[in-house]
Amino acid sequence: MVLDSKAVAAMLLGAAERLEENADRLSEIDSRFGDGDHGITMCKIARLIKEQIPQWGERSVRTFLDDLGMAVMEVKGGSAGPLYGALIGGLGVKLAEDENTPDAVRRMFAGALEELEDLTTAKVGDKTMMDALVPAVEAAQQADGDAAAVLAAAAEAAEAGAKASEGFVAKFGRARSYKEQTIGTPDAGAVSTALFIRGMALGFTKQ
Amino acid sequence: MKMKKFINNPENLTSEALDGLAAANRDIVYRGEDNMIVNRALERADRVTIVTQGGSGHEPALSGFVGEGMVDISVVGDVFAAPGPQACVNAIKLADKGKGVLYIVLNHAGDMLTGNLTMKQCKKLGLHVVKVVTQEDVSNAPRENADDRRGLVGCIPAYKIAGAAAAEGRSLEDVAAVTQRFADNMATLAVAVRGATHPVTGAALADLGEEDMEIGMGQHGEGGGGRQPMKSADETAEIMVNALVKDIGIQPGEKVMLIINGSGATTLMEQLIIYRRCEEILKEQNIEIVANYVGELLTVQEQAGFQMFMARMDDELLRLWNAPCHTPYLTKI
Repeated sequence: MVLDSKAVAAMLLGAAERLEENADRLSEIDSRFGDGDHGITMCKIARLIKEQIPQWGERSVRTFLDDLGMAVMEVKGGSAGPLYGALIGGLGVKLAEDENTPDAVRRMFAGALEELEDLTTAKVGDKTMMDALVPAVEAAQQADGDAAAVLAAAAEAAEAGAKASEGFVAKFGRARSYKEQTIGTPDAGAVSTALFIRGMALGFTKQ
Repeated sequence: MKMKKFINNPENLTSEALDGLAAANRDIVYRGEDNMIVNRALERADRVTIVTQGGSGHEPALSGFVGEGMVDISVVGDVFAAPGPQACVNAIKLADKGKGVLYIVLNHAGDMLTGNLTMKQCKKLGLHVVKVVTQEDVSNAPRENADDRRGLVGCIPAYKIAGAAAAEGRSLEDVAAVTQRFADNMATLAVAVRGATHPVTGAALADLGEEDMEIGMGQHGEGGGGRQPMKSADETAEIMVNALVKDIGIQPGEKVMLIINGSGATTLMEQLIIYRRCEEILKEQNIEIVANYVGELLTVQEQAGFQMFMARMDDELLRLWNAPCHTPYLTKI
């Protein structure tokens, strides 16, 4: 299987579905130390993805991801819009205009991480999206096999990372002022990132 | 929870408030696309222009200070939420009169994200923009760690300094430098005695009980670590004013600006009582207040409490503070 627009569309739709299915859970997690609207915001992002994909047209994967990322940044509801916009746009930045190799998946993740690192100093252990994204990117780089195997390895690492965020003290956002009280609750952004990446993997294999 | 607020559909709060602001101040501002409030005189401006961004819910901040001598465009997000970067890029493009744009951002996670993304995009487009971040909350990080300090009411006098410097026809680098110098020498401490209600969700933003106050409370009810039994006006003023003097390192013989900014539900009577005591304390230390404001500039809905702001002043900063401005909520002639 190659990474053409059809494969990337399937990944994004998979991510959108996974987020919509888990929206209530995301809001519930977010309500403990945040505004309680993370599920609502992620649903808005999912809806936007589903609206934009049928309008893909002739755009390259990279251009489409860049356009989609810019649109997602405008989604209202806290930092999730800009952060997921950067992540989605970043999925394309390391791709050539007409990418066609399985190795492209590894570079998609690396690009997403690079874009987010440009924006934030958050590291693994700070109870943010990075808790899921960084291990996913590392796992993707190390995974052997085809694109599906790389995606599966990334998804698994992201889920483990989101789980591990339960043990961390929040260093960013509104939750930060709750300090040690945040131990025991996962980071809503890490959970949604793991859902996003698992959704990409599921979408890719389902196509 | 049922809220006792005069609102309609919570989803339209920001939009309706911006419509109201524009309608009530038709001669000064208009409402642009992307939730922008725009200075009517921007069209004929031939100078550096000033753009800022931030969530709604803090009225009169931030959009109430759009007008000649302060902000040219304010880009508004949702309640307590930053706008997206595309709207800010659009605002900067609209504001740019060929002399460059000063972009003022308050240090809050969401605003900083949008600020960074906006700057990245502006660079790509070749726009001449300098960003100044206001980060002056002394409660949540030491001065060496300014990146962790929240931006509180200090953005408002910073707009005034920047707007006045721009009106003098100075270059963008100059306007940015004087604004940054002011920002580097300011500090704010907030105290809350009763939390507000989030106007969209109805959630309580802080619970302080009947007996307590909290020094260091953030702008959205984030804890600040200074919870203590309620004190008198004079005792509270003393703790806070001394903390600010110490933080900025103001020496006897120096001049300062002092602002008492009500958070929404503390009476002007209380704010004036606090101010009076601050002036006495500073006088005892031979520190002169050469500029001041007492009243509401940046609120947190109906939170009770206030923010106390201090900045080191010199002749240039004082001249800029006293220069004319004409905005919905601050006018100087």
